[in-house]
Amino acid sequence: MDAKRRISDWFRQWRSPLRRFLGKTGVPRADIDDVAQEVFLRLMRYDRTELIENPQAYVFKVAANVAVEWSLRACHKRPHRDQWLAELTAAGQADSAVLLEQSYAEIKRALNTLTPYQREILKLFYTENLQYAEIAERLGESLRSVRRQFEKSYDRLRQELDPELLGVFTHGRE
Amino acid sequence: MDASDRRRQASAAASRWFALLQSNQMRREEREQYIDWLRESPLHVGEMLRIVHVHGALEQFNLWSDITTGPKSAADDDSIIRLERSPVTVAPLERPTRYGVRLAACVAATLVLAVAFLSLFLTRGQVIDTERGERREVVLADGSVLQIDPETRVRVQYSAELRRVFLERGRVVFHVAKNPLRPFLVRSNDTLVRVIGTAFGVERRLHNIVVTVTEGKVAVIPATLATAESSTDVPARRSQAQTPSSPSSNGEVFLSANQQVIVQASGSAEAVHAVDSHQALAWAEGRLIFHNDTIERAVAQFNRYNRVRITVADPTLAAHPINGVFNASQPNSFIAFLQSVAPIRVIRDGDQSITLLPADTPSQ
Repeated sequence: MDAKRRISDWFRQWRSPLRRFLGKTGVPRADIDDVAQEVFLRLMRYDRTELIENPQAYVFKVAANVAVEWSLRACHKRPHRDQWLAELTAAGQADSAVLLEQSYAEIKRALNTLTPYQREILKLFYTENLQYAEIAERLGESLRSVRRQFEKSYDRLRQELDPELLGVFTHGRE
Repeated sequence: MDASDRRRQASAAASRWFALLQSNQMRREEREQYIDWLRESPLHVGEMLRIVHVHGALEQFNLWSDITTGPKSAADDDSIIRLERSPVTVAPLERPTRYGVRLAACVAATLVLAVAFLSLFLTRGQVIDTERGERREVVLADGSVLQIDPETRVRVQYSAELRRVFLERGRVVFHVAKNPLRPFLVRSNDTLVRVIGTAFGVERRLHNIVVTVTEGKVAVIPATLATAESSTDVPARRSQAQTPSSPSSNGEVFLSANQQVIVQASGSAEAVHAVDSHQALAWAEGRLIFHNDTIERAVAQFNRYNRVRITVADPTLAAHPINGVFNASQPNSFIAFLQSVAPIRVIRDGDQSITLLPADTPSQ
């Protein structure tokens, strides 16, 4: 199966409930660390063999479920459920253009801290939908070295990207 | 190694795992290693989610046309460990120093590992064992306080990422110092209590375990879960809404203040019920509260807290009901109270032994 598609699907599963939950408008504060802690405790209780068979699906699925449960619980606790839902939607629409621009600028800045070659590889992956093996072939590189470049790029971007400026990706549009 | 170093290492590892997942070239051993790595620490899970977040941002980014690219340069050379923040061109003359840096890094890494192993070895587990009549209040390294009852045995195992306490027998009230990056887990006979920053008591009895919360929230995970949850649809079932205090479909129970649950040895949890937690955990303050208890049970409690041994030598007297609040360390005031409500004769044999008899029993 297409690795990139598969990852993206899992990611989407995980992202939309999580972003709804992590949105700042009226929803109780929680961050990735809290979600991670809960996911961690659940992973400890699952059967190891099962996890190994399908390692990607599990983590994202569990994370998505944690996020869904928590936001449901948060709804139950809040007396004005409809109100914050409305605020959430409204905020998503009103600010999205500004936030989107801000987020793109931040991603652009972070990408420019990578080497031109790393940017080339990411661009092939994210715009041409090439797999690692195809990128390696096109650049005349080994698969391992392409993977190393991804590793370094993700690591750098993780340190560079300011999560605050990626606000638009944590709530609002879907 | 401090918290930010650990996070830094975890995020480097997460990037490595994520790239490997994406390459679709994962061998079975690697999948095993990945899962084991994830299950090592919530920090690892968190960093994994963060890398996925980065990936999500790149997927939504639509200004790739503005991004300039270029061919491979010296800065992309895999064999060189870059310590600088931004890429630099490598001049040949710099090479010896780079090797020096690498050597120093290796030595440092070895030292860090050695220290980590040593501290792990030293903190493998601290055992606190109380005897009859001995109550202890222990402050742990993170500031959490344990009020330990007599005849209790706990093992404390702290690691950089987890705080674990094993209750082997007896009862303890926990006042947990909050630290979201370092979960606090109490395990007793395979029942797991996960703390969400709080004060609560755990009592290990012969056939069950009683968890009572005075403040905050805890999750109680009965033993059966560890083995039962192996099917892939478990996470899906969890997505249904749960009220915080009811057992979820999988048996995990959430408790908040003034709630109690009893977990049987079989692993099944009874329904959560409301309690006056201050009364239920009064033993931690050295108070014994009896409500429609028998003299026999009350005496057994006093005997746990004191060196003096009280014996009830008559079955009718032993079954006599008793109500009241007593200071656990003062058996004499308890006996004085008994004498005020029932005709009792008290026989003292030295300092250590007291026998209670009905007043009409003839003297020997």
